[in-house]
Amino acid sequence: MKRHEHLRNLAALVVVGLVLAGVPDSLNVYQRSFLLFTMMYVVLALSWNIISGFTGYTSFGHVAFYGIGAYACAILVSDYGWHWLATLGAAAVVAGVVAVAIGYPVLRLKGPYFAIAMLGTAEGTRVIATVWDSLTHGGLGISLPSAETSFETYYAMLALMVVTIAAAYAIGHSRFGVRLNAIREDEGAAEALGVNATVYKLAAFVLSAIFPAVAGGIQAYKVLYIDPPSVFFVQITIAMALMSMLGGKGTVIGPIVGAVLLYTVQELTWVNFPTAHLIAYGLFIVVVARFMPRGLMGLAIDRGWVRKGMVH
Amino acid sequence: MPPGPNGIALEVRDLRKAFGGVRAVDGCSFAVPGGKISGLIGPNGSGKTTTFNLLTGIIRPDGGQVIYRGENLAGLKPHQIFGKGITRTFQITRIFREMTVLENMLSVTGLGVPDRVARERAEELIAFVNLAHLRAEYGGRLSYGQQKLLEFARALMTDPDLILLDEPAAGVNRTLLQHLLDQIHRLQEGGKTVLIVEHDMNVIMNHCERIFVMDYGVKIAEGPPAEIQRDERVLDAYFGRRRN
Repeated sequence: MKRHEHLRNLAALVVVGLVLAGVPDSLNVYQRSFLLFTMMYVVLALSWNIISGFTGYTSFGHVAFYGIGAYACAILVSDYGWHWLATLGAAAVVAGVVAVAIGYPVLRLKGPYFAIAMLGTAEGTRVIATVWDSLTHGGLGISLPSAETSFETYYAMLALMVVTIAAAYAIGHSRFGVRLNAIREDEGAAEALGVNATVYKLAAFVLSAIFPAVAGGIQAYKVLYIDPPSVFFVQITIAMALMSMLGGKGTVIGPIVGAVLLYTVQELTWVNFPTAHLIAYGLFIVVVARFMPRGLMGLAIDRGWVRKGMVH
Repeated sequence: MPPGPNGIALEVRDLRKAFGGVRAVDGCSFAVPGGKISGLIGPNGSGKTTTFNLLTGIIRPDGGQVIYRGENLAGLKPHQIFGKGITRTFQITRIFREMTVLENMLSVTGLGVPDRVARERAEELIAFVNLAHLRAEYGGRLSYGQQKLLEFARALMTDPDLILLDEPAAGVNRTLLQHLLDQIHRLQEGGKTVLIVEHDMNVIMNHCERIFVMDYGVKIAEGPPAEIQRDERVLDAYFGRRRN
């Protein structure tokens, strides 16, 4: 990709960031929340995409990192009196360490075995959060000191989203990203061509874990109450995966488009028909899998609207 | 890079690998001369591809040594062996299908190499194998012969000293094959060592200086093409023992 194209894309990101930074004053609490959660899902989908889209290791348990981040924030704020912004750094560090510890053994598995191991990991973290009373307050959950937080958390989520997009963009358009793609396409061949797959996969896994953890931390401070079922909710993982797949996993723009589209549809249907968004999810899965397995971006590439290959 | 002592680039000593009860490679030894094109032949199932997989670390040997520049490579991981300057292609091409030709090339070079250098090298090699017009096309959309060329070019990205080619001629039309062979000769003239597994006897007999013949996991003969063609043991291995 040419230098001026990178600059143009960077400018687009800055403009979107500035617009989103300018609007909250003119919005009501509901609208701010809607934008915040949309941005959160952009973060989650893009992060999931680093390990599952770029690298080809489909994770069915990524909510684990989101939940770990939420708990790190809630515990440090309510029990240790930290400023909540400082807890976000701690959330990233804790999730990164956990990602290394889990990733090292689990990334030896491939395909459905990896997916199921991650599902088990997410369930395991939920159970640990439920039974480890002394640290997590168990099933009672944690209440954070009450405050009007919708502006602070909005700006924090906006900053996180801009950073995540920039990171995903940098990875996707680098030779590091190309090597992750090579692992996705044929890990054995990639290794025979000099890619130390263990290290690359672990790096991708850690990167894909830290942004959801920070998002979880922000969300905990936004809703001011968390408990294990709400932050280790399997549907959050499904949303990450589905948003990426709808938009086009393995691309940068795809998960962003997928997150905005799917979260908007979910919110519209949820408001009017409380359970209809689940049906909408089901329909999306069927339609995406049947008619565009590579998502909207895959369709655009096949039609010639978008160039193949991200490093060209 | 100069070959090792006595002009030997790679020495295989008593290499062994069993899959369950099948001894695929059963005490195989040979020495690949440096700066030359050599061939590794043998009937189906004689252990050629397993030997390649052992040399490149795709599978771990049960025993034996692979000596390269005075160092035993047996048991190292594939990316470590690649890092020593040994590269390969595969019998059935293993190009990265949903990556463009250029991306296939760029995936090989380590991140220590500056981007500009890697790209220049990639474009140069893509032109070298006549794929420049397809540089932005997905690998999976190439014809089989073109995929073979891409895999060949990809193996050269890091300027390796020893190149292992697993059936480069299979499925490649005559014109492309001649082009591929020309490129292989150019590499050899540039001082590289090439070892080819191949069933196409024209390729082996006309282009290799030294031939190793495997059967039942061991080397049964070696020598220049003219000698190998007359070797009784080789004829036995390929056609069965003659009745007297």
